[in-house]
Amino acid sequence: MKVRKIAMITAAFAIIAGALIYGFWSPESADAKEAILYKNPQCDCCEGYAKYLRQNGFKVTVKATHDLSLIKREHGVSEAFEGCHTTLIDGYVVEGHVPLKTLNKLLAERPQIKGISLPGMPLGTPGMTGRKDGPFRIYEIKKGAPKVYAVE
Amino acid sequence: MTKNAWAVSRRTFLASSGMATIAMALPAWANIPPTTREYRLVAKPGETRLVGDSHPPTAVWSYDGTVPGPEIRVRQGERLRVAVENRLAEETTVHWHGVRVPNAMDGVPHLTQKPIAPGDTFVYEFDLPDAGTYWYHPHQRSFEQIGRGLYGPLIVEERNPTSVDRDVTWVLDDWRLLPTAQISGDFGNMHDISHNGRVGNTVTVNGRLPDTFAVRAGERIRLRLINAANARIFGLEFKDHRPTVVSYDGQPVEPHEVAGPVVIGPAMRIDLVIDLVGNPGRRFRVTDTFYRSLEYRLLDLAYEGEPVRRGPAGPIARLDDNTMPEPNLADAERHEIAFGGGMMGSMRMAMMGGRQVDMREMMQSGMAWTINGVTATGHIHEPMLRLTRGRSYVLALANDTAWHHPVHLHGHSFRVVSRDGKPTRHREWQDTVLMAPKERAEIAFVADNPGDWMIHCHILEHQAGGMMGVVRVS
Repeated sequence: MKVRKIAMITAAFAIIAGALIYGFWSPESADAKEAILYKNPQCDCCEGYAKYLRQNGFKVTVKATHDLSLIKREHGVSEAFEGCHTTLIDGYVVEGHVPLKTLNKLLAERPQIKGISLPGMPLGTPGMTGRKDGPFRIYEIKKGAPKVYAVE
Repeated sequence: MTKNAWAVSRRTFLASSGMATIAMALPAWANIPPTTREYRLVAKPGETRLVGDSHPPTAVWSYDGTVPGPEIRVRQGERLRVAVENRLAEETTVHWHGVRVPNAMDGVPHLTQKPIAPGDTFVYEFDLPDAGTYWYHPHQRSFEQIGRGLYGPLIVEERNPTSVDRDVTWVLDDWRLLPTAQISGDFGNMHDISHNGRVGNTVTVNGRLPDTFAVRAGERIRLRLINAANARIFGLEFKDHRPTVVSYDGQPVEPHEVAGPVVIGPAMRIDLVIDLVGNPGRRFRVTDTFYRSLEYRLLDLAYEGEPVRRGPAGPIARLDDNTMPEPNLADAERHEIAFGGGMMGSMRMAMMGGRQVDMREMMQSGMAWTINGVTATGHIHEPMLRLTRGRSYVLALANDTAWHHPVHLHGHSFRVVSRDGKPTRHREWQDTVLMAPKERAEIAFVADNPGDWMIHCHILEHQAGGMMGVVRVS
């Protein structure tokens, strides 16, 4: 009984590890791509992003967690490239409020990277309030020097 | 006969009332110099089995090698002398949370004392005017030092203790553990700072992952809850039991049951009296339901052994009041204090290091929070409020953020007189008031303790991220 919480943590890592194996979410079942969105239990804007993904045909499972910073590190998202929530879609990690156009580009091109990130919580992004006050720079998540993947 | 009897009894009454007046002015214990209780605490790295014997021990920082540190237990009116030796690799201090100590004993680095260097010892010494449940912890880089296990309970027993069968302390904490049972080293990361702080994934009671807590049928226990977590708010539900709150933050309150869970924010204490009304052999869950969709079982109350008594234990008496002066609300000076910043907030600009910066620049400097528009980058800063010693004050606190904040004022206890404009039912004395997102609270107190005192959010990542200030009483 005493190990149950550690077991839960281990299980959480196992799920993440499982999700990383390509084919866990098959790209062929692209009609309703599955997404797991990890979020802070008290953050609302992440729910806004989940809603945005659902409206655009994704099947989204929202998982509240106290381990967001661990999950981000596990997926190679460094502190400088953190958004708020972390989403796993089709073998990629999608960090923060990434707009659909760039998300679709990622899923179509399938580059050899871990994923993409829109750092911070820029105003006017999907799920966020406010008006866009500049271009959104979406970065590649991979080892080595940061590189812009797309600008919207 | 009747008349004479009345005359005699009146004389007796006058005599005894005169004695009573003298007794009130000079209680018997006032003539005796206070007993000084001496303790020695060594802050040092160590190892402890937080998650039980099936995992390796967890490397922690601790007082005297245990988590929590030793329970300091003294009697109201006594004097406490604690020599704190620092065997950490960095500076430290000890803050006696909730105790109305002289300013020089408050343990705030650079503000009230020079931090204790590695290898050095500092002696804290002060009187304990008030009974209650308190705790001690560092105030130097507290988001990491407390987070790694430096804290302990400080119990000041009443002169007239309440009648219970058992007096129990639960120090609640949580830890961000890796699968190796070691503490994740990501202290002070920007996600924790800008959201709800470092909430861990493993909850302990008195330094162990709990399973059961043994009780006996018919028992009446006093359960002293101390929340030593950096950031986690607990909302405890005791299945089929009806806990009665008898004090908040060490200060007596009219005994009452709370509707819903017992909510206790970081640094807060709540004393409960619980009558164990279950039958021998039964188990009852204690659950923490504070975070929606992340509820969990904390432990089970497990009924063992023979009943202590059959039938009810009688009414629960109110604890004797402590010694803080009553604020005069009619004559109180009022100040407004606004708490701002954080994610999902409306704050765009703040003062940092004497100049205006935007949220982006703040975040790049590791800051995310403000008090009255200022983000505090260190422990020394100019007072945001200057109070006159002996005057009554009302501080109107406004949480302008989307997050909870347990706001702690040093050196004083205050009455929480209203929330969101409505008078509180119990006008409870506290030293740490938990405000929900967008909530307002008015606190009232007499500024009777001279010195520079911190006021800060006790979500330690919020404090590190700028949500602190100084109030000067002179």
